[in-house]
Amino acid sequence: MSNPLMEAVDLRKTYRMGRVGVEVLRGCSLAIGSGEFLAIMGKSGSGKSTLLHLLGALDVPNQGQVTFHDKPIYAPPTQRRFRPGVLDTFSFWEQSRIRLRRHAFGFVFQFYHLLPELTVLENVLLTRMIGTPWLRWGSRRKKYDERARSIIERVGLTARIKHRPNELSGGERQRVAIARALIHDPQILFADEPTGNLDEDSGGRILELLTGLHGEGQTIVMVTHDASVARAADRTLHLDRGVLATN
Amino acid sequence: MYKIFLTIRYLRKRRIAYFAIGAVTLCTAMVLIVSSVMGGFLDKLKLKARGLLGDVIVRGDSARGFPLYQELIDEIKQWPEIVEATPVIVTYGMMKFEDSPSVQTVIVSGIKLEETYRVNAFKSGLFYEQHYPGTTTFAPQQQPVVGFDDQRSARKETPEGTIILPVLPLSLADALAKSRAADTNEDDVYAGTRLNEALAEYNLPLIPGVFARGSAPELSNERPRPGFEGEPRDGAIIGRDLVAKRLRDGSYRRYDLLPRGCVVTLTLLPISDAANVDTPIKYPFRYADDSRTGIYEIDSQQVYVAFEVLQKLLQMDAGETIDGDPIPARASQIQIKVAAGVDATALARRLERHFHLYRNDERFNLTFDEKLLLERTEVVTWEESQAHYIKPVEKERQLVTILFGTISLVAAVLVLCILYMIVLQKTRDIGIVKSIGGSSAGVASIFMLYGVAIGVVGSISGSVLGTLFVVYINDIQDLLVWLNPAWQVWDRSVYSFDEIPNTVRPIEVAFIAVGGIFMATMGSMTAAWRAGSMHPVEALRYE
Ligand SMILES: Nc1ncnc2c1ncn2[C@@H]1O[C@H](COP(=O)(O)OP(=O)(O)O)[C@@H](O)[C@H]1O
Ligand SMILES: [Mg+2]
Repeated sequence: MSNPLMEAVDLRKTYRMGRVGVEVLRGCSLAIGSGEFLAIMGKSGSGKSTLLHLLGALDVPNQGQVTFHDKPIYAPPTQRRFRPGVLDTFSFWEQSRIRLRRHAFGFVFQFYHLLPELTVLENVLLTRMIGTPWLRWGSRRKKYDERARSIIERVGLTARIKHRPNELSGGERQRVAIARALIHDPQILFADEPTGNLDEDSGGRILELLTGLHGEGQTIVMVTHDASVARAADRTLHLDRGVLATN
Repeated sequence: MYKIFLTIRYLRKRRIAYFAIGAVTLCTAMVLIVSSVMGGFLDKLKLKARGLLGDVIVRGDSARGFPLYQELIDEIKQWPEIVEATPVIVTYGMMKFEDSPSVQTVIVSGIKLEETYRVNAFKSGLFYEQHYPGTTTFAPQQQPVVGFDDQRSARKETPEGTIILPVLPLSLADALAKSRAADTNEDDVYAGTRLNEALAEYNLPLIPGVFARGSAPELSNERPRPGFEGEPRDGAIIGRDLVAKRLRDGSYRRYDLLPRGCVVTLTLLPISDAANVDTPIKYPFRYADDSRTGIYEIDSQQVYVAFEVLQKLLQMDAGETIDGDPIPARASQIQIKVAAGVDATALARRLERHFHLYRNDERFNLTFDEKLLLERTEVVTWEESQAHYIKPVEKERQLVTILFGTISLVAAVLVLCILYMIVLQKTRDIGIVKSIGGSSAGVASIFMLYGVAIGVVGSISGSVLGTLFVVYINDIQDLLVWLNPAWQVWDRSVYSFDEIPNTVRPIEVAFIAVGGIFMATMGSMTAAWRAGSMHPVEALRYE
């Protein structure tokens, strides 16, 4: 294997609950190749989401580093800020993580996490709205609009484009979430139990969608506690007591 | 881009935001109303005081007045800074109308009518002079009466006979025609006099004011002619609230008992040359006109008569001692109109020094007493003469505006609470926006924008509401009084003006509106900060 797309080394994360520290990740290392479909399995509460958040630059590890295209995404451990405030927006590390979230990563969550005030189309476009500077929006709007419509067609929701999330079923909502995560052609798609909240039928459709995307070359990292779901992936890692193991 | 988009979406969907807007609206309107009414009150006070007094006033401190006023006037009229100067005598007296049982205490001012017209805005407040231009004079005149003129009277044939209606004497009819041709003041005409009721019945134009006799349609053969009757008497101009009753619609109700030209007797207290109060004298005047300044205290107690007549009655005119020494004439004030652009305060100081120099001037040869009277005169600007009255109001206005501004902090706190609530409700959304690349500052600015939007909408609607309220404040008061007379907030005898000031200054509106926006923005700051510093993962996990 040539240089992996993303590499995590010795990730550790401890949650403080008052005086007690709960060490959820105790040194996780992994590598993700370009075009790979990786599943991470583990029991509920084992720290899968935590790990995914760290890979996706949503949280900050206590120790360890994640590199993307060989570039670290976290500051050296001594300079890390675990709760970035408003003013940290303008710090170098926070800025680079914001850029990754905007342009390189896509996220799909178990509970869809759509904005209820927005229509399907607007929810999908939101990623682009956030990622586009003010002045460019006018000139790019048409292109993004077309892209959003084709993605929504890809997930089979063209008829629902003007609907709001509360008018959709769970499976449909998750497909909107996938469309939102795909509109900016992310290099890695992170999916946190994307079928966890769905019945078998809709879950199956979501999985089909993901394997289809994988077939087209999309790199996917998926977290699940369900072995049947994990089978859709090329490779599965198991998270147990804070460390990763190959089967 | 998404910030404005989300702000607008949130604003439209959150009904609770309307409460915040409402709070900002009310506070903005409240501050605007308070500041406008008090500011308008102050402006009116200043304007009226100035309009009545002239720009600069020379005044003595004794009821006896001060000498050499005419010498000073003749001299300073040559000064380029001075447009006009006129002497005034002020005294107290009792007033009684011939046909009325009541007696009133009044302030009697002796003025030179033509000069006063030039010094201040007195003329525009005269009722009969407005409707019958050129007919108001202090010179001795008889009483005008309406009567029947075969050529000019309107006639109606009825089964009982021919009805004919009284008309004004020719000179007054001409004057009235002139003012009607120019611009009538019809709205000021009280229709409730007997004559006007009769005219209205036959659809004829009303006659402004009240005139003696010939009130009803005439069937008999005895038809007095219109004209002037009785003794010629000196004219007096009477404060309007002394002769008519103000109605709620702003017009005045006039009485058939008090026609123009009727006899009004003034009882005055002259002060002798030896500075003793002499026996009171009674002198009959002719009710020539009535004046309205809009300041109730003035309109309900002022009577104006000819300067020379009052001077003579009060023994303030020039004379001789028993030994044959001349006694100079005296006045109690000089009112001066200053040319535009002249610094009135500096002029007043200069004038005072100048006048005091007269004291030892060889030309005048004053007695010790007269020197003292002259020395005790002071020259003040109209602002200074009213300072005891205006300064406290100015302070009061500042105080109240600051007070209400502070109370408006409540609106800021309310905006804060409501936005904080929305931020909490929207925690999950904040997590989502951050997870797809929204920055902390970006998220914070959504809620800041939200606060600004609340401020802008609230301030604008508050300004509109406040402006409307101020403009219609007198109607609102009338409505309240109509509902319950005890709700009369504005007592015209207390506040000097018969109307609540209702001018809104655009600068003030702008200033207050900006203040409202600022408050809302400050209020939203904390909530925005909280939203911005939310941890994306914790926000996503938030239930
Ligand atoms: N903010 C937090 N504070 C304290 N404990 C947390 C927090 N977030 C997660 N945890 C704990 O960390 C563990 C791992 O959580 P999570 O990564 O969500 O597991 P999984 O996704 O595998 O179910 C759980 O025991 C959870 O209670
Ligand atoms: Mg989880």
